[in-house]
Amino acid sequence: MNRHVMGVDFGSTTAKTVILDLSGNIVAHSVAHMGAVSGDGVKQSMKDALEEAGLAQSDMGRVVATGYGRRMLDEADKNYTEITCHARGAVAMVPGARLVIDIGGQDSKVISVDSNGLVAQFAMNDRCAAGTGKFLEVLARAVEIGLEELGDTALQAREKLKISSMCATFAETEVISLLAEGHPKTDVLGAVHAAIAMRTLGLVGRVGKKGPVVMTGGVAKNPAAVHYIQQALEMPLILPKTPQIAGALGAALIGLDDYRAENKHLFISEHEDMAREEQMAADKACIPGCRGVPELAVDPFEKQPPKGKLKSLLGTIQNHI
Amino acid sequence: MNIAVPPMEDKKANKLKSTRIAGKLVNDYWEMVWRAKEEGKLICWYEGSAINPFLEAADICWVHGEAYSAMLAARHQEETAQRVAEERGYMRELCSYARTHLGCAVSNQRLRGDNSGATPDDDDLTWKLPAPDMIISAYAYCSTGQQWDEMTSRVFGKKVPIFNVSLPWIWASKPDAGYLRGHEWHETSDYVARQLYDMVKFIEEQTGKPYPWDRLRAMMADIKRASELRLEAMDLCTAQPAPASFFDWVVSIAPINNLPVAGVKDYFETVLAEVKQRVASGEGAVPDEKYRLFFDGIMNWNKVGWLANKFARYDAAVVAGRYTHMAFWQEPDLIDPKNPVLGMAQNYLICPNNHAAPILIELIMGLCRKFQVDGMVIHASRTCRAFTNPQFMIAEAAQRQLGIPSSMFEGDVTDESFYKDELLNSRVEAMLEAIESRRMAVA
Repeated sequence: MNRHVMGVDFGSTTAKTVILDLSGNIVAHSVAHMGAVSGDGVKQSMKDALEEAGLAQSDMGRVVATGYGRRMLDEADKNYTEITCHARGAVAMVPGARLVIDIGGQDSKVISVDSNGLVAQFAMNDRCAAGTGKFLEVLARAVEIGLEELGDTALQAREKLKISSMCATFAETEVISLLAEGHPKTDVLGAVHAAIAMRTLGLVGRVGKKGPVVMTGGVAKNPAAVHYIQQALEMPLILPKTPQIAGALGAALIGLDDYRAENKHLFISEHEDMAREEQMAADKACIPGCRGVPELAVDPFEKQPPKGKLKSLLGTIQNHI
Repeated sequence: MNIAVPPMEDKKANKLKSTRIAGKLVNDYWEMVWRAKEEGKLICWYEGSAINPFLEAADICWVHGEAYSAMLAARHQEETAQRVAEERGYMRELCSYARTHLGCAVSNQRLRGDNSGATPDDDDLTWKLPAPDMIISAYAYCSTGQQWDEMTSRVFGKKVPIFNVSLPWIWASKPDAGYLRGHEWHETSDYVARQLYDMVKFIEEQTGKPYPWDRLRAMMADIKRASELRLEAMDLCTAQPAPASFFDWVVSIAPINNLPVAGVKDYFETVLAEVKQRVASGEGAVPDEKYRLFFDGIMNWNKVGWLANKFARYDAAVVAGRYTHMAFWQEPDLIDPKNPVLGMAQNYLICPNNHAAPILIELIMGLCRKFQVDGMVIHASRTCRAFTNPQFMIAEAAQRQLGIPSSMFEGDVTDESFYKDELLNSRVEAMLEAIESRRMAVA
């Protein structure tokens, strides 16, 4: 039996891989930037994670894929949608979370999770790149600023401007026009992030606002996006350490469930394991057949049955056994 | 926990065989329409409500705008009409039924009108519609509907007589209001019925003949029976597996809504017999029914077969829908064949979108309970906002009242460019995964 499982999020702009051991601990993870749904990018991400873990692909008991390219991954045993995997991963990262906001490269989604951690309802951007990582990417290019600096620059905004278009292309036109009017990049970028926050708020409204709220996806690493969304929601966002791997983690966890179910006979829980250890220790401490209760044991050499109450108690126990 | 949606095997919808008859009936009907001018018939263009029995009884050839656009889309021949309409200045956000039909009107004027000098391509159905001799506007809930008729009138040089029937929105705000009851309902029903009698006078003016009421009564007796047969067949789809799907009922819209009355009763008798036979033998509309879904939204006419097969591959039987189960003579008990006008008015009024949201939602939730659905797939039609407006409320009610998830995808009635396949796939798969994980949690 293999001792690890792998989850791969084959996204639109990045590929993420998570390797878990059979107890569900993260052994390795990696994020690879790539072009649109690139096979090379996802292979790189898987290779990086395997190298970090010191494992080979053949060591994986189960591989589960998610993301836009989920059906394209030959190594995957199964594939699941981003909704299911992000919800599972986010709740694993933040137990008790009831709402997951995930803003990825190509889509943004809000997932309402019930008390069992199951998807209750979800809403996604329906029409265009509105409110997604792609929206930020296009507008970062328009203001000639690196994607990494985008958030910090936007946080310096002083004047409130408005980007009304939700279409990335038309919003780019608006940005260029605001810059042409002489507004500083900081204020323009503040408006861009405020637009994303309003769009996210709309999605939250569709599934119902409730907390705790966890934010995942690459955009969760952008401090301005977090700031404006928190402001719009009037609620704090909980940010996992590695928000962009939530989908891959969810995929790996689902793979782990699947692998465990298939090999149930080979798995025992920690509790069962401990109980067996204790039993074995007790068995060693007494005569054969006593099962840890020496007083009840029949001494094979004496061959004298117990009497009275003791006999009756033993009979009951034997019947149960 | 294995909640994977089944892999996309090459499964196909098990369509009702009897619905093939609908295809022939539709073809015969449009052939009749295309010949009508040459046969010296008066032509009436109308949209929305099924006033066709009034016209058919008077021997007027009836042309339903949405039906022609839907037929073009189903045959994947809608693009020319839509391009022509855009050239004329009708933007892409305009109802694509209207845009397609207006493109046909413009083509008709260009290629069929007097002194056009152009040579029409006989394979192109865009130009083939005979020009109207009259227009009757009788549209519930949709503001575009009336404007569409006005635009048609302009295309034909404002020379075509128009009669307008006003179908008021049912507000249901009074304490006694409800579905088919209350003061407002009765008052509105009478108001529309009075207008229908005036419409008959208009028809008499156009034909120059007294109106043949006996023919209308006979036709409405047939429609009432056809409607009862249709509803009986639909009700049998509470069986598991469901013997027929939403897509079978979509194909059956034309027979109940706008085809010549003569063949309609026979059609639904045949359909009902097949449905009964399937229930008896346990044959389902999808090969392996695992999920039962409700479809909220108007149809993507260029995707009917495509969507039917897609859901079959997901082992999902789409068992009921707002579009099919809440429209098209859906209250036959209201029709008195001896005196049919009031009941016709009332059936026009209960077009599913013409109710206040609480009534609409209550009816939809009732269908979801009746057909025991596991989830709701919502088609937000890009150019039919009237149908789309209440959909967030419907999804919210489904979640709150029934605890079922929904997934929404954007598409359109006849403009394929608004449909995005991968978005539908992801959303439906996510919903099915959610349904599956809940089942496993309960088990």
